[in-house]
Amino acid sequence: MLALLRWLRLPLGLGAFALGVFLAVWLIRLDRTVVARFEGRTFKVPSRVLSAPSILYPGLDWQRSDLRGTLARLGYRQVQGVVPAPGQYEWDGRRVRLHLRAFDHPTRGEPARKLELRLDGSRVTALTSPDGRPLGAVPLEPEPVGLYYGPDREQRELARLEDLPPALVDAILAIEDQRFPTHSGVDPRRIAGALLANLEAGGITQGGSTLTQQLVKNFFLAPERTLSRKLQEAVMALLVEWRYEKPAILEAYLNEIYLGQRGATAVHGMGQAARLYFGKRAADLELAECALLAAIIQSPNANSPYRHPDRALERRNLVLDLMHRQGRIDPSSWRRARAEPLLVAEVTPDPRDARYFLAALERQLPEHYGSGVLVNEGLSIHATIDLRLQIAAAVALREGLADLEKRHARIRREDPLRQLQGCLVALRPQTGEVLALVGGRDFGVSQFDRCIQARRPAGSVFKPFVYIAALERAPAGGGITLASFLSDDPLEVRTPSGIWAPANYDRQFHGRVPVREALERSLNVATARLGQQVGIERVADVARRLGIESALPEVPSLALGAADVSPLEMARAYATVANGGVRPVVRTFDEVVDAEGRVLERRELSFERVLDEGTAYLATSLLQGVIERGTGRSIVSYGLHGALAGKTGTTDDERDAWFVGFTPELVVAVWIGFDEPQSLGLSGAAAALPIWARFVREATGGNVRGEFLPPQGMESLEIGAWDRVRAGLSGGF
Amino acid sequence: MSSCLIDRIALLLLLLAPAGMLACRSFPGVPGPTRDEAVTLEEVMDRGDDQRRASNHLVDQGLEADQLADAGRALDRYELALQLDPGNPWVYLALARHELDRHEPRRALASLDRCRTLLERRGEISPRVETHLIGLRGSALAALGRDAEARPLLAEARRRAPSVWDDGRLAAEELR
Repeated sequence: MLALLRWLRLPLGLGAFALGVFLAVWLIRLDRTVVARFEGRTFKVPSRVLSAPSILYPGLDWQRSDLRGTLARLGYRQVQGVVPAPGQYEWDGRRVRLHLRAFDHPTRGEPARKLELRLDGSRVTALTSPDGRPLGAVPLEPEPVGLYYGPDREQRELARLEDLPPALVDAILAIEDQRFPTHSGVDPRRIAGALLANLEAGGITQGGSTLTQQLVKNFFLAPERTLSRKLQEAVMALLVEWRYEKPAILEAYLNEIYLGQRGATAVHGMGQAARLYFGKRAADLELAECALLAAIIQSPNANSPYRHPDRALERRNLVLDLMHRQGRIDPSSWRRARAEPLLVAEVTPDPRDARYFLAALERQLPEHYGSGVLVNEGLSIHATIDLRLQIAAAVALREGLADLEKRHARIRREDPLRQLQGCLVALRPQTGEVLALVGGRDFGVSQFDRCIQARRPAGSVFKPFVYIAALERAPAGGGITLASFLSDDPLEVRTPSGIWAPANYDRQFHGRVPVREALERSLNVATARLGQQVGIERVADVARRLGIESALPEVPSLALGAADVSPLEMARAYATVANGGVRPVVRTFDEVVDAEGRVLERRELSFERVLDEGTAYLATSLLQGVIERGTGRSIVSYGLHGALAGKTGTTDDERDAWFVGFTPELVVAVWIGFDEPQSLGLSGAAAALPIWARFVREATGGNVRGEFLPPQGMESLEIGAWDRVRAGLSGGF
Repeated sequence: MSSCLIDRIALLLLLLAPAGMLACRSFPGVPGPTRDEAVTLEEVMDRGDDQRRASNHLVDQGLEADQLADAGRALDRYELALQLDPGNPWVYLALARHELDRHEPRRALASLDRCRTLLERRGEISPRVETHLIGLRGSALAALGRDAEARPLLAEARRRAPSVWDDGRLAAEELR
């Protein structure tokens, strides 16, 4: 026996030594994993995009601006008969008492404040502080538009432990790990309790994991349920507790824990959960809300307050009962919170409606904000998008295209990749802010943005540039006035590729026509002649000055829009006209703020005068004529009234249908067609104009604000035929 | 003293008063009337429709932020004011002043051009606002080193509103 032992001593010793080495290596490797994850960048935080803020003011049409919807999306809760706390409001017939939450931002930050709104019909008649002091204008916090996710599609907003309400930590400890402050990562009493409960139930009903083990499981390990993984989890939990302080572990847990699903994305951490479920910062959570978040940790989807409100309420009350029993809350708070109904924020608008905008914004950000930065760094990007207009644009395009297919069965295609397409972009002409952008029918099917990335023949929407080039010059130098006449007689131009002989849409010639009529009826021949008269290089120069950046072939047919341009460029060029000849720089965002609240990037308002104000006004007047008497006159039938100007466009073989138009405060370009060259068989007035009108009616309420005013010194006169002769205005051809 | 003599003295005083006022204005060091020929935002605050008035309030908040040297917040307020009323000339006037504070004279000139255009189009241009347009243009040109063009403009602004333009600049509180 002794001999055997002596004989085995060496192999046993070697085995023990090898096991020791293996264990040591294993522990070192686990420890390195723990340290690397904890001390490197711990979390991937997707950057979020926020809309332009809504502004409250006396006179606001609260119904059209969807004040109730905005408050719901921001997570404001309606209360009755109590003084509203921050994030709450009382809507009492003709009076709204609103307690705004504080909003953190380096320049837009607002303290929490109380407001009162008096309502009469759909208008806000007074906006005051609670002591009756009138307030002129109060911005609300911006609304979330969307997030830039990584491939794991995790939504997360980081929260610091010191910023979280103590009630949230208490609620989580009460239900998930009440001995967290004292154990060393593993809680034998909890494990024993869970074992007994599971034996009694005949299956797994209760977990024995501590918060630290849950963190380790989510942080480092694959979601498999094996004994070896359990062992690894326990050892890593001990290592984590050995290396780090309890507050650091707790903070990591609160930012890592999975708290439900929003479409295809996973919600992680209390910061993001507070936004999702209550539309507020985690710091502003109330006791009942803290209890609800703690309640859903165990099984966020099975206990979802949206899908299973009864189950969620029952478990929330269990958390409150535990908190009370463990002495974490006093009896009155417990009773009050238990009596509260389950109130969660309205689900935020479907980001699908803004996905083309989000993609365009990503492209406009400077290169150093690559997708790696956007999905990891938790930036806040303050976008120019007006969420109400964006939703209206998405609806107008979607319904408009469906309507066209319904009325014209020949343009319907079953294959989603070959379907009729369209796009809509809306800008504020004075500031160049992109207010709404829908680059196609369905971002899920095609991410190609037809407003920005596509180059399509411009057709007749290009014609105003010819008239502007002619208006810039004196009649004696080949220019025109609005009282001039043009010839719409047959024209032949010799070009290197042969004779070019333009024809009109109706295949007729109209002889001598006034300038206004030539544009209002979109006459090709008269416009081509004017292009020749003023010089194609001048036409191209005007187009470039107004904002067209695509290459422009300086050929005679350029006058009729023989150039491939993007709808965004077209919108910008028309914005320059709408803005009195001042070209704005197009912007999709104005600020990028990092996770620490520092402004990293700022795009300021920028503009440049590129056209004489008088010429811009005359061009606007011509385009008003198109709406009043010309190819755009059907707009009135859509219930739009006020200052409107625009131009239809239809290209060869009716492949592209355009409408680009503006009010004094909004420029909108709509393009309709197929991605592959195919005839649409519809004009701009038939295909694009209805979508434009539908959107502008929704945006303006039907009555357009403002008017097109002439510059100082410009007068409008009625001129008869004899006056023209006397004034020598009949020239021009 | 006969009533006839009193009447003559009164008449003389009446005749001399305007001349005296003019003399005071033309002598340096003699303070002229406060804000005699310079507009303030307060005067126009309640003009226009609901959106214009609300926009003016945001301009005022921007000027207040400028007064407290919070340039970021001021710019933010001016942009919000344009969001509500993109054709509000007072935003551009305040912006031009703000841009000069930030040593951006070219931007300030562009903002002044916008302001003038919008005021002229609506027939709202007045000698009182002209003072600031002239003075700010002078300041911008001076900042660009175009002193020969700047000097007469600044002198004119000073002549029109010495209490505001004596130091050759327009402070945020002076525009409020």
